[in-house]
Amino acid sequence: MSKSVHRFALLLAGATFFLIIAGANVTSHDAGLATSDWPRSNGTFFPRMVGNLFWEHGHRMVATAIGLMTIAFNFYVWEVEKWPARFLKRIAGTPGSLAARSYRREPRLWVRRLGLIALLAVIAQGLLGGLTVKLNLPLAVSAAHATLAQLFFLITVSLAVFTSRHWVTPDSTVNESGAGVSLRTLCVVALIVILTQLVLGATLRHSATWDQDLPTGLLLAHLGGAIVVTLVLGSTIATVLLRHRAEKYLARPALAAAMLLLVQLVLGLAAYVTRAASPYDPQPLTPMVAVTVAHVACGALVFATTIVLTLRVFRVLRVDRREYVLAPA
Amino acid sequence: MFSKSARIWLGLIAMLSLLSLASSCGGGGNNNEPGTPGDAGGKAYAAKGDEGTITGNVSYVGTAPAPVKIDTSADAACTSANPNLTSEDWVVKDGKLANTYVYLKEGTLADGSKVGDYSTWPNMPASATLDQNGCHYKPHVLGVVVNEPITITNSDKTTHNIHFTPKNNPDWNQQQSNGAAAMTHKLARAEVLVPVKCNQHPWMKAYVGVTKHPFFAVSAEDGSFTIKGVPPGKYTVVAWHEGGANGTEKPMEVTVPARGSVTADFSFGASAMGQPSSLQMMPAIEFPMLGKH
Repeated sequence: MSKSVHRFALLLAGATFFLIIAGANVTSHDAGLATSDWPRSNGTFFPRMVGNLFWEHGHRMVATAIGLMTIAFNFYVWEVEKWPARFLKRIAGTPGSLAARSYRREPRLWVRRLGLIALLAVIAQGLLGGLTVKLNLPLAVSAAHATLAQLFFLITVSLAVFTSRHWVTPDSTVNESGAGVSLRTLCVVALIVILTQLVLGATLRHSATWDQDLPTGLLLAHLGGAIVVTLVLGSTIATVLLRHRAEKYLARPALAAAMLLLVQLVLGLAAYVTRAASPYDPQPLTPMVAVTVAHVACGALVFATTIVLTLRVFRVLRVDRREYVLAPA
Repeated sequence: MFSKSARIWLGLIAMLSLLSLASSCGGGGNNNEPGTPGDAGGKAYAAKGDEGTITGNVSYVGTAPAPVKIDTSADAACTSANPNLTSEDWVVKDGKLANTYVYLKEGTLADGSKVGDYSTWPNMPASATLDQNGCHYKPHVLGVVVNEPITITNSDKTTHNIHFTPKNNPDWNQQQSNGAAAMTHKLARAEVLVPVKCNQHPWMKAYVGVTKHPFFAVSAEDGSFTIKGVPPGKYTVVAWHEGGANGTEKPMEVTVPARGSVTADFSFGASAMGQPSSLQMMPAIEFPMLGKH
């Protein structure tokens, strides 16, 4: 385990969050078709960044940077390093067997493989982005592009968790009796429900531009999703805090998720109010753009904190499965 | 060399790449498919010399909404070309409303035939022009017949993209840099109205009404319009004005006399207009099973 790998993974997850914000700006500004070109914009890789092209081409540039970062991350974790000769000389007088010893910067194969999956996901994401531009933003492709963005974010956040010191060497384990609802199950259900809600939100955002009314059916589904997420995630957070309040490793992401969920609900209401009025505005106005982008960003943060909570629960929770047998009368 | 899951991923990516490549190779450019104005597979109407005229005025009742200043700061070329650009959805002068599209929606000619039976009429317009000038479209509302070539020009010192977003016709999105040659686009199916927008400058909007007949007009600054050469008969004349997501339609029944004229005046007002920056409540939802027991 290398501290630098963890820092790199954190940087990648943070950059992906920034990319999600850049993507949300494209949708809110209705900039997805600011150019019909792909991968170039208006026939060049460096167009004048004016009007909505700033958002669309800017999104492409950030995405390209993250693609390159993901490639670099993979090189970094797969890189074979030799023990520094000076270090070996000091500890063992440079014996031949030790001098030949080498190690991967990230020793766990499954983490390195997860890095490769991230690379494949970011390549697929780039192609989906191009496809949606070339096909004039068909809803299915655009929604798939937005969904894969969240899945890529899931992978990068997971990589950041898996490479952390606390994951590799947990300070302690948390015991939980087998009675009651399983916290692990609750976390997984919360994660699935949030991802579904993010997909619904992405589909809603891509189903109508700022100058059109949002489709009622999808709007209601997203509203229903918000209620379900609040109930499921709320129950998960309450369970964590009731059972393991003293365990900061679990309580902190739970509290963060609780606060973000509250902010997200307020942002959701504000996004609806500003978005419902926008078809009557002469252009996408800053309040609508800012609130809807903040809603997307906060949704991603709720997702990220739930990912962290879920992974930590799986890492440190030890369920006591002792069976109690009734003694004969 | 690769695991099973890796092979699946690689296969998916290869498939997406091919799809992307295929889509980038097709389409684009000018839409010059065959077809002459009005050529939509119906009968030809022969002028009988007894055609009449529909004239009228479009008014705005009440206090007209003030034009909203457009923020063009995202593109300096737009700011310098048109520093006082305002919204064009409600252009009202002395109570008269411009940019209202008026057309014959349906009707019966004096001989009992329907307007929709004909696809060719005398004096079909040959072409129309849509110019991007000062980072807005001129004209703002345009009427054409099916397959009429629309010449698109860019008089601005910036790149625009022209994006027709119809429901019955194919989507069409092309960029046009400053100084680029004019483009031509045709719409093969009747549709009232096709929104046109520039995705680079989202305030830029135009509307194109596409009909199978030449009986349409757009109200001028003084609200007046004239539709000439209408065969005698009974018709539904509709005035359409933009606002909100779908605009507002006002129908009116008229009878056009032989060699005569009929007046059709329309008015729009606060009840017909959109409500800028106000809260629009969710549309009412119908539950089919309720109230039917």
